[in-house]
Amino acid sequence: MSSVAPGDAAPDQRLHPWSWLFVLIVQLRQFLLPLVALVVFGNRGDRDELWSNLAALVVIGVLVAVSILQYLTFHYRIGRDAISVRSGVVSRNRREIPFARIHNVVVHQNPLHRLFGVAELRLESAGGNRPEAEMRVLRLDQAMALEQLVRQRGQQVAVAEAVDDSAAPVATEEVLLTLNTAEVVRIGLLSNRGWVVVLALFGASYQLFPRDAINDAIEHGGRQAFGYASHLHPATWVWVVAALAMGVAFWVLLRVLSVAMALLRYHDFRLTEHERRLTVASGLLTRMRTSVARRRIQAWTLRESALQRWFGRRHLRIDIAAVVAANGERRDLRELAPLASPDACNALVQHLLPQLQWPPAQWRGVPQRGWWRLCLPALLIVPLLAAVAVYKLGPWGALLLAWLPWSALRAHRTMARMGYHLDARYVAVRGGWWQRWWRFAELDKLQALRLERSPLDRWLGTASVWLDTAGANGSVGLCLRYLPEAEARAVFERLNAALAGRGLRW
Amino acid sequence: MAGIAGAISGAIVIGGALAILWVALDMPMRWLGAAAMLLPGALIGAFFGYRRQRRTWWRLDAQGLGVRRDLMWQLETRVPLSRVQHLDLRRGPIERTAQLATLVVHTAGSRFSAVSLGGLDQADAERLRDTLGRQLDQDGDAL
Repeated sequence: MSSVAPGDAAPDQRLHPWSWLFVLIVQLRQFLLPLVALVVFGNRGDRDELWSNLAALVVIGVLVAVSILQYLTFHYRIGRDAISVRSGVVSRNRREIPFARIHNVVVHQNPLHRLFGVAELRLESAGGNRPEAEMRVLRLDQAMALEQLVRQRGQQVAVAEAVDDSAAPVATEEVLLTLNTAEVVRIGLLSNRGWVVVLALFGASYQLFPRDAINDAIEHGGRQAFGYASHLHPATWVWVVAALAMGVAFWVLLRVLSVAMALLRYHDFRLTEHERRLTVASGLLTRMRTSVARRRIQAWTLRESALQRWFGRRHLRIDIAAVVAANGERRDLRELAPLASPDACNALVQHLLPQLQWPPAQWRGVPQRGWWRLCLPALLIVPLLAAVAVYKLGPWGALLLAWLPWSALRAHRTMARMGYHLDARYVAVRGGWWQRWWRFAELDKLQALRLERSPLDRWLGTASVWLDTAGANGSVGLCLRYLPEAEARAVFERLNAALAGRGLRW
Repeated sequence: MAGIAGAISGAIVIGGALAILWVALDMPMRWLGAAAMLLPGALIGAFFGYRRQRRTWWRLDAQGLGVRRDLMWQLETRVPLSRVQHLDLRRGPIERTAQLATLVVHTAGSRFSAVSLGGLDQADAERLRDTLGRQLDQDGDAL
């Protein structure tokens, strides 16, 4: 940090000289389709090819000019307690970002970035749907230095604010969790990420090639295979074996794809803690590094699918108040532990929230009485589907009804497992039976409460208490469901009083 | 009162849908029938709007703002004073003529980050806004 003067007189700094190239690439990605359309379809008409190519060239030229102008006009300056960013070609824009308001720092490096030894840096504050500042691109060591600076400066303010946490900051970096390759492969084997690739491939192939061509290819190939097979006159068992082999092959393919996805994402995963700031770094080709202050964590979610449970593994993720990218590109970086044994997860939570008693000594259950309401959707839909199936396919359609007992069993077990815990510091909810989850948040982090009673609730004399936290999009709701009404009301009033007595601490 | 007014404007949607159905199904007296359909639509909308307004209660105490609404689904929402992020006071054309206002309370949460309270008396709404807003000044560092 010696290169950065502490005073406000620090010099203006620019991005990396190659940064215009990366801005250009991002812009080209947006303009790619129109450009391709221009070149391809422009050539189809009677007009001269030259013109459409020229037009494409002009567009690219303009984009290059804009990128270079953006590079020339983008300056940032690191002050004592804020970063100020100046940018803009025509309308100039100056933005001050106090260090204390930065919730999340992301350093992002794709293979091209690595080739040039640079990185993209994003500073995010709470709320909004765009990062506060996006520095595309900085030299890697500069980016790391800036990240560290934000960490230190933000921390000074935080320490001054939180006097009660008087523990001396840990000076050295502490590794909380690493995943070796075997574990990453296990993530892939235990998940169904492969489906994402398969579906994406289907979608892409339908977009890229004309629909008729694909349908023809499928039909033609199918007919050829079928014709070949029927030419051999095989017995029934050959068909069965062939179908089984196909199924197994597809399953293996899915697993392989899942493992590949997991390797791309989680290779060399490291969760470290440095001066009360957590940093997650992972990725094989594209390296990502995000860091968030410990006190910025809004809520915690533990999940466990049936498969993961049999292998003794769990998944821990957190909510933070900073922006959630719409394209889902960095959803996974809220994962503190993509896969870890239950003990490791509990130890991690214990370490990060020492003032909490996790897991709670006792869960309060909910009455088993209305368990059937959980399989109500299945009770309504399955008979309808079965009726349609019987009408269309004959008596075999009635097999669909076999789903009902399973769904009833699941509803019954889920209701039995539901529970919550509430004490002076935090509130926790657990649920699910086949897929289990736990979710908890400190009382300080709750934003609003709602007591909800549906018509069914009124009939059964129950109520649900919804708790709202920041940044909770896309995760299970923090909701105490199906409590007896009196109990729900008591919990509601108790939480309301507790919240009113506490200031909001981010 | 504004519940009715607001509802009538909302009812045009139902009435409009009915009218389109009327035309689409080739009922007798095409355009006249379609226009007549607006009336039941408006009535239905007015009924629901009135009911919704009559069954909404709010309260402000030392702990915060509470809004209760008892329709098919009963909802009771509480926003503690310390969690209020910012406040909006909205006045549409219909509300302006009736001297009413809508208060929207924003929190930093996600699911119900904006709690809105319509059809408030204008003076009430301003008083509520000032009371909730005063606390924001006292608490120096909300975010």
